[in-house]
Amino acid sequence: MNNNEAKFLLRAYRPGGRDAATPAFAEALGQAQRDPALGAWFAREQAFDLVVAEKLRTIAPPPGLREAILAGASVSQASRETSRWPVWFAVAASVALLLGLATWRLKTAAPMEPLTAFALHDARFEKHGGHGEAAAELKQVLENPATRLAAGLPIDFARLRTTGCRTLSFSGHDVIEICFERGGSEFHIYVAQRADFPQLAAATAPHLARQDGWSAEQWADARHIYVVATSADPAALRALL
Amino acid sequence: MSHEAFTQLVDAHYAPLYRFALSLAKNPADAGDLVQQTFFIWATKGHALRDAGKAKSWLFTTLYREFLRGRRREARVTSVEDLPPGEADLPAEETDRVQRMDAALVIEALQEVDEVFRAPLTLFYLEDLSYLEIATALDVPIGTVMSRLSRGKTQLRAALARREAVGQAKVVAFTDFKQRQQP
Repeated sequence: MNNNEAKFLLRAYRPGGRDAATPAFAEALGQAQRDPALGAWFAREQAFDLVVAEKLRTIAPPPGLREAILAGASVSQASRETSRWPVWFAVAASVALLLGLATWRLKTAAPMEPLTAFALHDARFEKHGGHGEAAAELKQVLENPATRLAAGLPIDFARLRTTGCRTLSFSGHDVIEICFERGGSEFHIYVAQRADFPQLAAATAPHLARQDGWSAEQWADARHIYVVATSADPAALRALL
Repeated sequence: MSHEAFTQLVDAHYAPLYRFALSLAKNPADAGDLVQQTFFIWATKGHALRDAGKAKSWLFTTLYREFLRGRRREARVTSVEDLPPGEADLPAEETDRVQRMDAALVIEALQEVDEVFRAPLTLFYLEDLSYLEIATALDVPIGTVMSRLSRGKTQLRAALARREAVGQAKVVAFTDFKQRQQP
């Protein structure tokens, strides 16, 4: 093995010594120990790699990503596990779960719905944008002080999706987001198709969730699930509905 | 897999997966989506993996495939396999120079590296996978991984030098997640 061949191998040797026991590197490492020039090159290479690796480690995931992953996965797992059992079992389990939840909710604060958690994370930390004719029309409706959101919204999901509106992916399904203002406050509405999230659609009446100064209301109608998130006062959020 | 075990899996791997995704996707929002999608696939299919010890490789492989799937929809992938190797030795002072650089600038330089080299290079610097595991994750021969690492490093050094030449301009793209753009 000449020095060029040794260098070729040693460039794949991870900084920090994790590959020290890997036989494929043994000969090249031995050569670097014996040859001062190659040894010096290898020391410089490792020092450089170590610095880059350390820089990379300092990049932190955005806040809320972990929670969004866990929330999204719990939805998909619930969906998968439900499909394994007979219908009667699912119905019985749902009744038991609803009874349990009802009792539990009397004692504790309501748990955050996964879609609400997703919406709050997106509203707080992600960049917002996206335009489209259909979105502009809906935005007008949303910004009209007379509109009560929970009374029904003119949602054409397919048209919103195809006219440049901001479309996100949650648990493998599209969620459309639109920013709007009402009374000087900024709001973000997230719309999902109810058929995509059957396990989320049980709660149709609006219910409030709060997180770090942000609030969100989630509700559903026959075709869609909605979440509105804002950093404004929860009273302003309630007033929309 | 229990909720507890899944949470442990997420805690162990979501940060390096995010860093890998960020190097590929080049923006935090898409990187976050890729990581979420990866764990979503795990939640729906990962339970079928018999060897729990391979979960880490499985996650990196899945994330990379999801990235490629998205890329195929968007644009052609330039073939750069025939680029000249350019394996000049590393000047001694370069390490000090990189040490002084902001991490975001280093990541930006990494993102300038051609995609075909960037994926193995990022996995190499994450230090989670050996060159053998990188070859498996990217589905390429071992020799190709080594070659791509070598060429990727050369490109990275050139990109770092360019970044430094541009000056100390502050880059906020990877840290300022709260910056908002209104529709």
